[in-house]
Amino acid sequence: MPSDVISPVGHSTVGSLLRAPFISARGIAKSFGGNHVLRSVDIDLYPGEVVGLLGENGAGKSTLMQILSGGLQADAGSIEMHGKPICFLSVAEGIAAGVSFVHQELSVIGALSVAENLHLGRMPKTKLGFVDGSAMRTAAGRILARVGASNIDPLREAGTLRAGEQQLVEIARAAARDPSLLILDEPTSSLTPHEVEGFTAYVREARNRGAAIVFITHRLEEALALCDRIVVLRNGSIVSEGPARETSREQIVTDMTGKPAIYEHRPRHIPATEIALKLENVSDGRHLHEVDLEVRKGEIFGLFGLVGAGRTELLDLIHGVRKLKSGEIKLFGEKHVVRDPSVSVRSGVVIVPEGRKTAGILPLHSVRDNASISSLRRFSRSPFKNSSREKQRMEEFRASLGIRMASDDQRISTLSGGNQQKVIFARALMANPRLLLLDEPTHGVDVGAKVDLYSIIAREAEHGLTVVMASSEVPEILALCDRVAVLSKGRLAGVLSRNEMTEDHILTMAFREH
Amino acid sequence: MGGVEAIRALGRQREASVLVMLAAVAIYLSFASDYFLEPRNLLNVGRQASVVAIVALGQALVIIARGIDLSVGSVIGLSAVVAAVLMRDTGSETVGLVAGLLTGLACGLVNGVLYTRFRINPFIATLGTLSVARGMALLMTGGIPVTFGGFAEFVGAGRIAGIPVSLLVMIVLAVAVHIFASQTVRGREIYAIGDNPKAASLAGVNLKRTRLFVFAFSGFLAGLGGLILAGNLASADPNLGMGYELDVIAAVILGGTALSGGRGSIVGVIIGALLMALLNNAFVLLGISAYWQVVTKGLVIIFAVGLDGLQRGAEED
Repeated sequence: MPSDVISPVGHSTVGSLLRAPFISARGIAKSFGGNHVLRSVDIDLYPGEVVGLLGENGAGKSTLMQILSGGLQADAGSIEMHGKPICFLSVAEGIAAGVSFVHQELSVIGALSVAENLHLGRMPKTKLGFVDGSAMRTAAGRILARVGASNIDPLREAGTLRAGEQQLVEIARAAARDPSLLILDEPTSSLTPHEVEGFTAYVREARNRGAAIVFITHRLEEALALCDRIVVLRNGSIVSEGPARETSREQIVTDMTGKPAIYEHRPRHIPATEIALKLENVSDGRHLHEVDLEVRKGEIFGLFGLVGAGRTELLDLIHGVRKLKSGEIKLFGEKHVVRDPSVSVRSGVVIVPEGRKTAGILPLHSVRDNASISSLRRFSRSPFKNSSREKQRMEEFRASLGIRMASDDQRISTLSGGNQQKVIFARALMANPRLLLLDEPTHGVDVGAKVDLYSIIAREAEHGLTVVMASSEVPEILALCDRVAVLSKGRLAGVLSRNEMTEDHILTMAFREH
Repeated sequence: MGGVEAIRALGRQREASVLVMLAAVAIYLSFASDYFLEPRNLLNVGRQASVVAIVALGQALVIIARGIDLSVGSVIGLSAVVAAVLMRDTGSETVGLVAGLLTGLACGLVNGVLYTRFRINPFIATLGTLSVARGMALLMTGGIPVTFGGFAEFVGAGRIAGIPVSLLVMIVLAVAVHIFASQTVRGREIYAIGDNPKAASLAGVNLKRTRLFVFAFSGFLAGLGGLILAGNLASADPNLGMGYELDVIAAVILGGTALSGGRGSIVGVIIGALLMALLNNAFVLLGISAYWQVVTKGLVIIFAVGLDGLQRGAEED
């Protein structure tokens, strides 16, 4: 791209009055392997405006922003910057033109200092060609202060920072470039309330300087408070767009899901008072301290907490992945001693783990092999596997979970994310569990599959299965759980019953130890 | 259309491409040498392939489970030496043979324990036992070969109805391991832990026990290979089996087993072992320097793995 296109918006005068869009995209479409992620999206981003881009996982938010920032190329459509057509072929071109993207995944380099991280690729040099450490340190301090993180020492090794602090370093890195378009993908998910304040102040400052800002978040209250305009994406199309003050939380949820009922709790009756799972003073010596819980049979019990609160670790402890340091776990009144997940599965405790790719699927295996792996030893008493039983059970679960596939011999990696997740559910349920552990069960699946998974969970609980579900999505907890335990820094902050559960209440408790 | 699809599907099967290579070398040799198609020569190729193939059966399971066993060559030597020395000292053939097999099993268990209990990367753990086992074989014999005979000599050099016994042993074992790998629960679990160890473990597959099993089995078959090899030579040389790990791993990889685990077939491994033996035979028949043989072996491995990478790369795109 010719460099004359790159004219950052003047910092002083424009304010929010300039009504010519900085970037204007028309008819943006993108598909991955036949899966349409974006279908003809039009969007204008104005200098001095904060746009909240909302939508479910898989709605196409990140893909759209990747295309605007040069990380991906659109299949169709055009993009204009200041009225001139542009086409970024790489992130570097986007950055050169003033577009900065702060990704949700942290990418600070742990072994380098904060100051070095902030100057990657453009470290100041002394006359002799060495890195000018002191200049770098001063500049780093200044940038950190701008994003409200002046408490972070620029000389500290970035890897030793908390997730939230690392996030701030990333934001500072983008801020240092004074971008004309700043894209923030879930920047606040690991920030403490205090850090959020500093961050918000920076966003307002950048807006007043005339930057166009896109803010992607799942926290609707934050979006409503911070943004000028709200854009909602669903299944690759923009379904609503308008000033933030003219919409409401309920309206946004309906727009996002297309189904007002998706997060609506259906009241259930839990007849049994039998205690299915009991944790007494459970510690693992590192991440969890003195946790006491009781889960009743047939209950859907939520586990909520911020990143690092110990949700996954607690499930790992029950499943035998992690060793118990002190305390006791009881399963239906009996002491549950597990040295290994294989023991746990045999005693009827199964898990749908977080991270479908890393911990869920066996990518080279067929759908049927993936579903039956937990049950092979139950299907067959002899050393030989029982193929006909596997086929029969697979067919039952294909029907009852609504798994869409051509044949159960096809590789699981050829299915969509939602269908893969249903196969992992089938794997867990096929093993005839007494206790089902779910860790972020709907991460990265489309809305349709999400609704299906919710009804599967509810149906199994209705049939008496006890479910413990860890989730970082409050609406999901509110929709499904009968009670929720909130963890904060490895300690139990409290257990909320159905009528005490509100988003505010849950989040306040989650921040208790912070 | 269906025919084209079928050929494409066959082309994606690694066994098929190795089979084509095997056929190409065989056809070439049948023209280049009058002696190649003689039954005596073909059976000799089979005999030469048998030890590599038997040890490769165990190695294949290890690699499918995402491990690697570099120690097999040394275990071959140590097992043979232990068997021969005990046979000489006790005068009992049974004691010698059983001790030889148990030595292989013990080496495999040590590898497995180093990996599963002490969490030493199998590449390093078996590199260590490679050296330790060889050193022990040299210590036990002072570096001098020990005579070895009796039943082992029959298995290593004998024939039943004109067919080498070692070839028959290989066929029986190959069928058994093939059925084990494809039809039993433990066999399927080996593939699962190679495909995604974390997922398989969370799904209830006992990771440690399965890993221990494959290493123990590999060691046991290496022990058996050592007895056959020494029996064939009627002598247990402490340097026996040196460098065998290369042939064995090459046979496994040539046969389409993925070094990254989770994928591979016993049929492919046998074809791979036959191809390695055929290449050896080719150099003898064509009278080419044995040094070229060493070079070629390396090139074949690089070629086979490179081909696999290119094919898989195309799939992933």
